[in-house]
Amino acid sequence: MSFEEFQNDARLYVIGALEQEETEEFENARKEFGQKGEEYIGECYALHEAFALSLQPAKASADIKSRLMAMVQERKKS
Amino acid sequence: MTLKSDPAVEIEDSSSPAVVAPSVPVPGAPSDLELMLAIQAEDPEALSQLYDRYNGILKALILRVIHNETEADDLLQEIFMEIWNQAKNFSAQKGKPLGWMVTLARRRAIDGLRKKQAYARAEERLQSETEQQPEAWVNNATQEEIAFGDTRVLVREVISRLPPAQQEAVDLAFFRGLSQREIAAHTNTPLGTVKTRLELGLKKIYDGLKELKDEL
Repeated sequence: MSFEEFQNDARLYVIGALEQEETEEFENARKEFGQKGEEYIGECYALHEAFALSLQPAKASADIKSRLMAMVQERKKS
Repeated sequence: MTLKSDPAVEIEDSSSPAVVAPSVPVPGAPSDLELMLAIQAEDPEALSQLYDRYNGILKALILRVIHNETEADDLLQEIFMEIWNQAKNFSAQKGKPLGWMVTLARRRAIDGLRKKQAYARAEERLQSETEQQPEAWVNNATQEEIAFGDTRVLVREVISRLPPAQQEAVDLAFFRGLSQREIAAHTNTPLGTVKTRLELGLKKIYDGLKELKDEL
């Protein structure tokens, strides 16, 4: 697998769109490309952030935060 | 560890085509990274601030996947609890806090969708929404909106440059967690075509984000 092919697959990989057999091939190439490959995969995760930021923010129910913080305080005590 | 009031220095990977946060923290407010470090030190106030900063984005993401307001709220709460519990696994060297949270939220939302076997119902809702709003994900941004520098508009503008078939393939893969084969079946399209659409679409978005980052 060339590095260009690896880059193509890396973008599919981070969104979970590789088929199983492709994933195995990708994982083998990942080992081959080492640090350079890992850095590229890391960059691809910016796609996740971008897709989330493309959405209009939604309003959460008002009591979610208070329930969350109560759970956190409870967890801290235990 | 307690939160500092000093202006934060955000550690970012300069090679990444990352984009800025939607709601830029006020000057002097802790950076996302500082909040994550404080959460790792079990400071509830840090989680509170992170929630205020990103609950809208994460709720939108969850809602986009599961199409149910009540379930989205419940899942949002669970995800922030998981952020609290799993914060120790976050590493700034692997990416930014928002990217980590989005990855976590997306995985939980897709898992939630499958576990609750709401897939069919969501599909019906999505189908209905798609018929009513064929371009619900992205609409063409105006130059005026872009000039305001709104990150969301800029990102949407990048995505809106994609042909509709590529947008659809990326949408189904990212927001619904469908595999290439599932997308092929869903859209009645040859598998090779789906792969090409995904490859081209993601490359264009990735390259567009790089350009965007340079502009910003």
